[in-house]
Amino acid sequence: MTDKRLFKNFDKTLLVVTFLIFIIGLATIHSATQAKDLSFNDSYVLKQINSMAIGIILLIIIIKISYQRFIDLSYILYLINIGLLALVLVLGHVRLGAQRWFSIGGFAFQPSEFIKLNLILALSCYVGTKKDSMKNFTNLIIPCILLAVPFVLVLLQPDLGTALLLLPIFFSILLVSGVEYKYLIGMLVLGLSAMPVFWHFLREYQRQRLLVFINPNVDPLGAGYTIIQSKIAVGSGGLFGKGWLAGTQNQLNFLPERHTDFIFSVIGEEWGYFGAIVVIFLYFFIIQRALIIASQTSDAYGRAIATGIASMLAVQVVINISMTIGLMPVVGIPLPMISYGGSSLITTLVAVGFLLNVGMRRSTF
Amino acid sequence: MRDKILVALILVLFVLLLAGLFYTQIIRFGYYSTLSKNNSIRIIPIDGPRGNIYDRNGALLVTNRLSFDAAVIYRELDDRTRLVTVLRQTLGMSGKEIADALERAGSRPYAPVTIVEDIPKEKAIRLEEASFDISGLLIQTRSKRSYIYKETGSHLLGYLSEITEEELESLKDYGYKMRDMIGRSGIEKYYDTSLAGIDGGIQVEVDSRGRQTRVIGLKEPQSGKDVYLTIDIALQETCDKLLGEHKGAVIVMDPNTGEILALASHPSFDPNLFVTPNTSAERRRLLTDNAGRPLSNRAISGLYPPGSVFKIVTASAALETKKITPLTEFICTGVYRIGRAKLACWKKEGHGPQNVRSGLMNSCNVFFCNTGRAAGVDALESYAKLFGYGAYTGIDLPDEVKGIAPGKQWKKMRMGGAWYEGETANYAIGQGYLAVTPMQVLDSMSVMANKKGLVKPYLVKRIDKTDTPSGKINSIGLHAGTVNTIRGGLLDVVNDENGTGKRAKVEGLIVAGKTGTAQNPHGKTHAWFAGFAPYDNARICIVVFLEQGGHGGLEPAEIGHGIFEEAKTKGYFDIRS
Repeated sequence: MTDKRLFKNFDKTLLVVTFLIFIIGLATIHSATQAKDLSFNDSYVLKQINSMAIGIILLIIIIKISYQRFIDLSYILYLINIGLLALVLVLGHVRLGAQRWFSIGGFAFQPSEFIKLNLILALSCYVGTKKDSMKNFTNLIIPCILLAVPFVLVLLQPDLGTALLLLPIFFSILLVSGVEYKYLIGMLVLGLSAMPVFWHFLREYQRQRLLVFINPNVDPLGAGYTIIQSKIAVGSGGLFGKGWLAGTQNQLNFLPERHTDFIFSVIGEEWGYFGAIVVIFLYFFIIQRALIIASQTSDAYGRAIATGIASMLAVQVVINISMTIGLMPVVGIPLPMISYGGSSLITTLVAVGFLLNVGMRRSTF
Repeated sequence: MRDKILVALILVLFVLLLAGLFYTQIIRFGYYSTLSKNNSIRIIPIDGPRGNIYDRNGALLVTNRLSFDAAVIYRELDDRTRLVTVLRQTLGMSGKEIADALERAGSRPYAPVTIVEDIPKEKAIRLEEASFDISGLLIQTRSKRSYIYKETGSHLLGYLSEITEEELESLKDYGYKMRDMIGRSGIEKYYDTSLAGIDGGIQVEVDSRGRQTRVIGLKEPQSGKDVYLTIDIALQETCDKLLGEHKGAVIVMDPNTGEILALASHPSFDPNLFVTPNTSAERRRLLTDNAGRPLSNRAISGLYPPGSVFKIVTASAALETKKITPLTEFICTGVYRIGRAKLACWKKEGHGPQNVRSGLMNSCNVFFCNTGRAAGVDALESYAKLFGYGAYTGIDLPDEVKGIAPGKQWKKMRMGGAWYEGETANYAIGQGYLAVTPMQVLDSMSVMANKKGLVKPYLVKRIDKTDTPSGKINSIGLHAGTVNTIRGGLLDVVNDENGTGKRAKVEGLIVAGKTGTAQNPHGKTHAWFAGFAPYDNARICIVVFLEQGGHGGLEPAEIGHGIFEEAKTKGYFDIRS
């Protein structure tokens, strides 16, 4: 399958930058969890490295197989993922409430993480097959269904953050596949006017989180407390930060969820504005590369995949960091490659694998 | 063109992000830096009190009381020597205790850390006064669980203890958090989600001396729901008193609805021990006493051979499958032989000719060995299951076990061998592999009390303002003739001069029942009495079980007598319209 010529277009820099972000992530996870005083064998750092190993294996597998094979399988993968989402929901009901996890062989994974990629593949498959006829209004029906089913299922998990993430993926892929502006804007308006309906779907604590964004004093002990403490952490970092392992907000346990969704507040506190710029620049670099790959690919399938991944990563980074400084509501989105958590890390690596895949095969079509 | 739009959009988002960070980290640096240095935002938790537990007549059984704790904010301590002196004088703490407590407080220097729990009120007031001069010392109030009747009914009420880390991991989505008290057994555990309150708190800004300057936010605590039991605490007290020093269990139930009026298991314990500090030695004894197992609820979690109380099932199986009639007689010579094996009747000289009714009255083993073998093991197994053995009764308590109602298939799976005829004879008199809970024995007796079927026992009548659905009888489809014949036998057990359970007899009330004396390979026989009253329109059905308690006809029947006597004075048998 793989021949040497393929690697002419292999984007080494993209891979190196991804690893760099992961290393920053490890250092930050160590800093955020060292107060727990765990032995190395139990540490979050080791668990994250284990997930990384799995992710790298998957990444290698994905690079070796042409993305066209994945496009061929995309609807099946999508349906399996939908099935798992539904299953989690059913099992979750049995266990009285929130249940996003599956545990197989002691390794917990979240089907809602993987739906992001499977939606990208399924949408890419559809718009790639239709090519220029995406201008037709009727060709929007299937993509809308492809989006709506997982959107509702993920929202019911309840996982508001991931559900919201599906929207930019959807719009960006339709945008580059030639859907008319009036339809895109029309869907956007329709979606916004349907907000009250979705409000109805939300669980109490999700509503609370959105309300807290508007007024942090609604829940000063829960979500509001997290936002305030996170802002203090980031703000007190200043220009150069308090230094690694020296963030007081972090080390004194004032920051809840600081090794997962709020990990950026540890970076902000310990490395300051300077460190934040570096991290944001590294992300921007990856996203930039993804968009370049998209624009250089003549194949409609590959372009859609690269675009979907670019917007997925961009929106994840922007929402996550905005959350920590109170610019956006707390919706529970991890910071790619940095936040502790296997499912998110593996999904991001698989996404990077697809980028490399599309990038190195673009000239063969 | 279109990809340019996307690039532009993403670029705008990232620029906004950098601008936001610039504002937070550079422009507002001074503000956040001070907040961070003083760590001036503090949360003062307010407990959401747990719901109360009441008995069927509205008597308060479990509630909350106010407890006073002394806490220290390590970073704000200025005069340590004074603190040590004050603690020593008011609470009589030793130097080492104080040093340990301060070390604990030092591990979370900015937060109030409890150093002494549950201080008597007068001392708490003295400390409160002293705390005005000692910065960093504060007196906090917390609500603590209080079990008014102490040891009485402790197994059905249960107890609380602090949530463990594993539990927290799986329960935090439901609002549980660190240091929460969680139900460990009984009603406290089964109805934990209803009883538990939701904690609130105030978020305040404090100055560098730790004084409140501003309240930033308040979240109102919510109290848990009150739970109303089917228990009658007066009857419960009687049962606990009658059980006394015995090991065993007593349950009293309305056989028409399944409402549990009393449920006692001994040895008992005081749930307050798990609430108050400084009782850890006594607590450890409760948790490690493997002989007495005081925390185990024998009524639903203990498994024992039922002995002769099982003869109701044997009689039903044989009568229903028409293997015997009410008039069929077997002659008891005092011993029953199968091949070379001998099985002795409890009466050495034998009971002579016996039918079902007299067989029940005399609890004749020879009669029931014959009857059981006539019915066969398969019929015994299916009727044992029909009477609720080998299955959960479904009572609303945690840790119920279902025991064993054996059969051929069961033996093959578990022991890997064929079923022997001798085992059928043993089965028929409630011995062998049979393993039952006192609750199951009670439920099977309720079939004879209500003449119809099983009831699902339950303990909770009402949660807050919502009534739980009242119980009903699930018919097990016995013929009226079968039920009447057996009931006749049960009547004679208590009322005939020669009945084995005559000590249960009560003046002015017609009681019926069955005694049981079950062989126990580990020591003295287990003793049972199960019965009901009044004979027609039974209002109350009881079971008394004494672990290694000797003969069913002695103490268990006497305890049964005591309970019926008490229920009579409480008016349970008065004609109700």
